[in-house]
Amino acid sequence: MMRLPGLGIVQGMALTLKRFFEPKATIKYPEVRLDVPPKFRGRLQLLYDEYGTLKCETCFQCAQACPIECIDMGGVDTKGRYHIHWGAPETYGERRDESALRRSGRPVPNEAYAHFDPIHPEALEAILERFDFDPKRMLEILDATQAEYGHLPVAALKLISQRTGAWYAMIYGTATYYRHLRFEPPAAEPLAASTAAARAGRETAFVSGLDASLAGLRRADA
Amino acid sequence: MTAVARSWSRLTLAGKILFTVVPILLVLTAGLLLVIVLAGKPIVDFLAANMWLVRFVVAATAVLLMSVPSAFLIIYMEMKVIALMNLRIGPDRVGPFGSLLSVVHGLKVLMKEDFSPTGADRLVFTLAPVVVYMSAVMSLLVLPFAPRIFGADFNIGLLYLFAIGGLTVVGLLMGGWSSFNKYSLLGGLRSAAQVISYEIPLTLSVVGLLILAGTMSLNQLSINQSGWFTNWYVFQQPLGALIFFIAATAEANRTPFDLTEADSEIVAGFATEYSGMRFGFFFFAEYVNVFVVSGLIVTLFFGGWNAPFAWPEAWAIHLNLDPGSLGMGLLFGLLLIPPILILALAAPFYVGRSSLPWWQALIIGFVLFNLLVIVLIGGWAFISLDWVAGLLWFLLKSYVFVFIFVWMRGTLPRVRIDQLMGFAWKWLLPASLLNLFVTALAVIVISPR
Repeated sequence: MMRLPGLGIVQGMALTLKRFFEPKATIKYPEVRLDVPPKFRGRLQLLYDEYGTLKCETCFQCAQACPIECIDMGGVDTKGRYHIHWGAPETYGERRDESALRRSGRPVPNEAYAHFDPIHPEALEAILERFDFDPKRMLEILDATQAEYGHLPVAALKLISQRTGAWYAMIYGTATYYRHLRFEPPAAEPLAASTAAARAGRETAFVSGLDASLAGLRRADA
Repeated sequence: MTAVARSWSRLTLAGKILFTVVPILLVLTAGLLLVIVLAGKPIVDFLAANMWLVRFVVAATAVLLMSVPSAFLIIYMEMKVIALMNLRIGPDRVGPFGSLLSVVHGLKVLMKEDFSPTGADRLVFTLAPVVVYMSAVMSLLVLPFAPRIFGADFNIGLLYLFAIGGLTVVGLLMGGWSSFNKYSLLGGLRSAAQVISYEIPLTLSVVGLLILAGTMSLNQLSINQSGWFTNWYVFQQPLGALIFFIAATAEANRTPFDLTEADSEIVAGFATEYSGMRFGFFFFAEYVNVFVVSGLIVTLFFGGWNAPFAWPEAWAIHLNLDPGSLGMGLLFGLLLIPPILILALAAPFYVGRSSLPWWQALIIGFVLFNLLVIVLIGGWAFISLDWVAGLLWFLLKSYVFVFIFVWMRGTLPRVRIDQLMGFAWKWLLPASLLNLFVTALAVIVISPR
């Protein structure tokens, strides 16, 4: 169809005339306030608890969840010198785990240096050979491994996974299900005995020191 | 230094002039009234003998006085209508529906610093807005607002209008040249090129109409179109009307041909260096021009002050009432009818809504009474007095065209300068020549003399 010259102008004028009578989009803000969505949280604010300390635990969940990475945390070091940031946004995930560990009072591992210890694989190879590399006999393999090495080293589990074809996660799950399987060597008996003796000595010294000071106090009273 | 001297030194030049001129004018007016009252008859006789003088003074004053409020009205209309078309609400804070916002704008512009750039030609720089505004206001002088309501009925009225409209270009060039700024100069030259280019199709499109009408007097043109709306020249000259409308849009520097003073662009053409009330004059002149152009279109093509249908003579109500014949009854009527009517109108509100205090009911009654009187007297005047009806019809039609100009501004984008010139010379000029040729041919064929 041939387009008439000026038809576009007429269509545009008709559109604006239609808009002229339509309801308007303006919200007269101070007089009219829209209902905010239920998940709206408004301005970010650091809150204080009733003891006057910050509620924020620097868990970095907010920073990690922020879709446009606008949340960052910073502070001043103990000597009041720098305004420091807690790192790049990519590392917030790691830092969150770190924070959880710190809050629970456990040591914070340094992932960069957490290699598993090497083992001598000949004995394990023999065990796997004996059980025909069968992942269905995983419990027997793990029992034999623990009998051989004393515990289940990570390197051994990795090797079992590689030889049998079972997933490492499944082997790990099997190993954690049974109480008698362990991942660390049991504490050595002589070490435990010496520790207990040392503690008894410390306690005796502490109690005698306490008695001495109390005796001094009693004398002063009398 | 006294307080008076200090405040005087703080006034701008315009303020000093205003504070001197206004008291002088007041004293002169009072003196004039006193002289008329005291000397009386000879002066009145002289004025009656020289009616043109009275007419000129009254028309000049009226035109100057009405140009500013009508500019305010059109500015408000532009803000509001474009806002509504943009799905916004627009001005709604000052006055009812924000209608006083343009007045407040005017006051703001008045209070700004009176500034002219270093190196500017001060005299020309100051005169440029005056020239532009004067050309807009002087155009209003010949517009026939209603039967017998016009400044002057020239037999070359249309020619006068085009000449005065051409004066705008001089003002724009003056402003651009005297600003000592190359962008202003370029803007001035650009707008001069635009206005002069569109002057040609504008004038040529009316020539066909002049052949048909045989007169250049705007008043006579309006009289020619009386009767039913089929007598309007737009039905005999549709192409001419269209060309005139488009060219007039460019003449008034309106969207889509508003390159002269493109509001939304950074460098505002010839007005770049202008601020305060000098810019205000350019701004007002633009809107007065819009009204002039609308009135001109209405006068030339849409019947002027004529109603779109023949007004039956029998409808007129001629009150044959001699107030003196009522005697004391007139006095009592004037005294008693307003309060009684106010009470009568207030009573239903007071009775019907028990929560309303009596004084609020009285206020409602007073407003209703005034509305009633206005409607009654206005309706009677509209029916019986041809100039009231004519004024209303003229203003109604003019503001319809003002609305169309605003509507176009809310819709159309701005054209480029080459598109602007190409359209004028390649399309409008041949079309207006064709219109002229066809009209002349038709006049020769249909009514050979």
